[in-house]
Amino acid sequence: MAGICCGVVGEGDTPAPLEPTPRPSRRRSLDILPLKYIADMPMPPPEALRKRPKLNLRDCDNAIENCDESTGHKVTKKESKVDYDDDVVSETKNVTVSEVEEESPKFGVTSVCGRRRDMEDSVSVRPCFTQGFHYFGVFDGHGCSHVATMCKERLHEIVNEEIESARENLEWKLTMENGFARMDDEVHRRSQSNQTFTCRCELQTPHCDAVGSTAVVAVVTPDKIVVSNCGDSRAVLCRNGVAIPLSSDHKPDRPDELLRVQSKGGRVIYWDGPRVLGVLAMSRAIGDNYLKPYVISEPEVMVTERTEEDECLILASDGLWDVVSNETACGVVRMCLKAQKPPGSPGSDVAADGSDRACSDASILLTKLALARHSSDNVSVVVVDLRRDQRQSSNYNDVN
Amino acid sequence: MLQNSSMSSLLLHRINGGGGATTATNCHDTVFMTVPDGVARYHTHAVAPNQCCSSVAQEIGASVATVWSVLRRFDNPQAYKHFVKSCHVIGGDGDVGTLREVHVISGLPAARSTERLEILDDERHVISFSVVGGDHRLANYRSVTTLHPTASSASGGCSGTVVVESYVVDVPPGNTREDTRVFVDTIVKCNLQSLAQTAENLTLRKNNNNDYKCCS
Repeated sequence: MAGICCGVVGEGDTPAPLEPTPRPSRRRSLDILPLKYIADMPMPPPEALRKRPKLNLRDCDNAIENCDESTGHKVTKKESKVDYDDDVVSETKNVTVSEVEEESPKFGVTSVCGRRRDMEDSVSVRPCFTQGFHYFGVFDGHGCSHVATMCKERLHEIVNEEIESARENLEWKLTMENGFARMDDEVHRRSQSNQTFTCRCELQTPHCDAVGSTAVVAVVTPDKIVVSNCGDSRAVLCRNGVAIPLSSDHKPDRPDELLRVQSKGGRVIYWDGPRVLGVLAMSRAIGDNYLKPYVISEPEVMVTERTEEDECLILASDGLWDVVSNETACGVVRMCLKAQKPPGSPGSDVAADGSDRACSDASILLTKLALARHSSDNVSVVVVDLRRDQRQSSNYNDVN
Repeated sequence: MLQNSSMSSLLLHRINGGGGATTATNCHDTVFMTVPDGVARYHTHAVAPNQCCSSVAQEIGASVATVWSVLRRFDNPQAYKHFVKSCHVIGGDGDVGTLREVHVISGLPAARSTERLEILDDERHVISFSVVGGDHRLANYRSVTTLHPTASSASGGCSGTVVVESYVVDVPPGNTREDTRVFVDTIVKCNLQSLAQTAENLTLRKNNNNDYKCCS
């Protein structure tokens, strides 16, 4: 599938140059998806197929770069800093083989500015952030970057505190709801104080009530995947080749969200897409104090049991999901995971920081696909390898 | 509607715009009664059939002079407007006719707005601007903002200010008058609330300076 994508790009598509205008939310109905799928990827002639028997990321990179040049726009790829826990290196070295203990899963992260002028996305990856649990978060800021930055820096600590205080009676829904509420409180208190932010926004008032962020967070435990979502970023599980959404986008015209906003006395107005009071294109967010109580920070929490068929988990901002379907994203990642070298072979691409070449390739490829499909937003992607046999082999390899 | 209601920042004022030919409409009778005669006429707008108008009022715990020092800076709206990311003067000398290009923060259904200063009256504390271009859906927008002392302040109490902003704008295709009023009132209300916070902070700073006998 991605090979076909490369073929399309390589054939010299010349899309119309994009202006950096705010992008209306293009909601694709399920009926239209197949048609757009076909329209986006016309079948290349057989000769082209023969020339690309295998996926070659290098060729793909060049093809996409050519596409970027042909549009006349230099795609700004300012990689946002992704925080890796420094302890992961020593923890990896100290790991011992155990039936129970879970090594941190392999992951890949990409976060690019894309065609927007500013980078307002943040990503937070915290392997083994508490008692063998692993934390992955994507935060898509709006209005400025500092709320998303605060979420990246603090939300995992808050969630950790909530988990510790729950002791043996860990109730995931309540724990995550408390964590998100505390994060929102911190954002609000910060905006009420006179602290200055290090972000590049030119806002001079300390009362930054009009800044907010989405938050999609996955906590991966040995037996569960806990996804908490607030806003319109998304988490998708790939299980046995099937894309299973683990979150539901908080768009203002989602029927239950529309009713909730209206019951609070608010209105959803179609103004370049459905918006709360005509202003904000999502119905839940961290921050955005001026739109409370219509825009709330309460996450929807989904707890999923892990199975042997689980292949990967994808968390991404709407810069990806607006132009790539869940099924396409899963197909791309599965292909990258299958293509990776056998575990334990010489030169195996497991980086010391825990990130993984195959997962990184998958996240990079998804990002390039989003840009090739003219996503006009920041794009942030986290890919987590959930396969189990892979880790068992990897454990033995580490002991050597 | 009670006179007090116009003082409440929680209430949005509703207006039925002229349904027939262009008429002169006071954006709100209550506003008319609470705004001094000298400036009430500024809140009279000509409203076309495809337009709507509305007004928002906000009480501020700061003197008129302090509030005006923030409000009158046509070149620096980001000092108090949360939705403004940056602003550049692109024409004029600071007086009537000055043009500014406003860049809006992300996440809103607008990117840029080109605005012209229409009134800047330092005696009566009246400022007005119109939107003459940009990337948004608010065509033919014009607003007027006035300041006057609160009733208690006028009779010798602590200094306080009432700011009133009224506007008229085209109803965009596909939306209703009510849609347009809800959207614009939300923005204006947010702006006036942050103007209040900014001016009150300035007052706090000045009072602190006075404690050390510094020039204020």
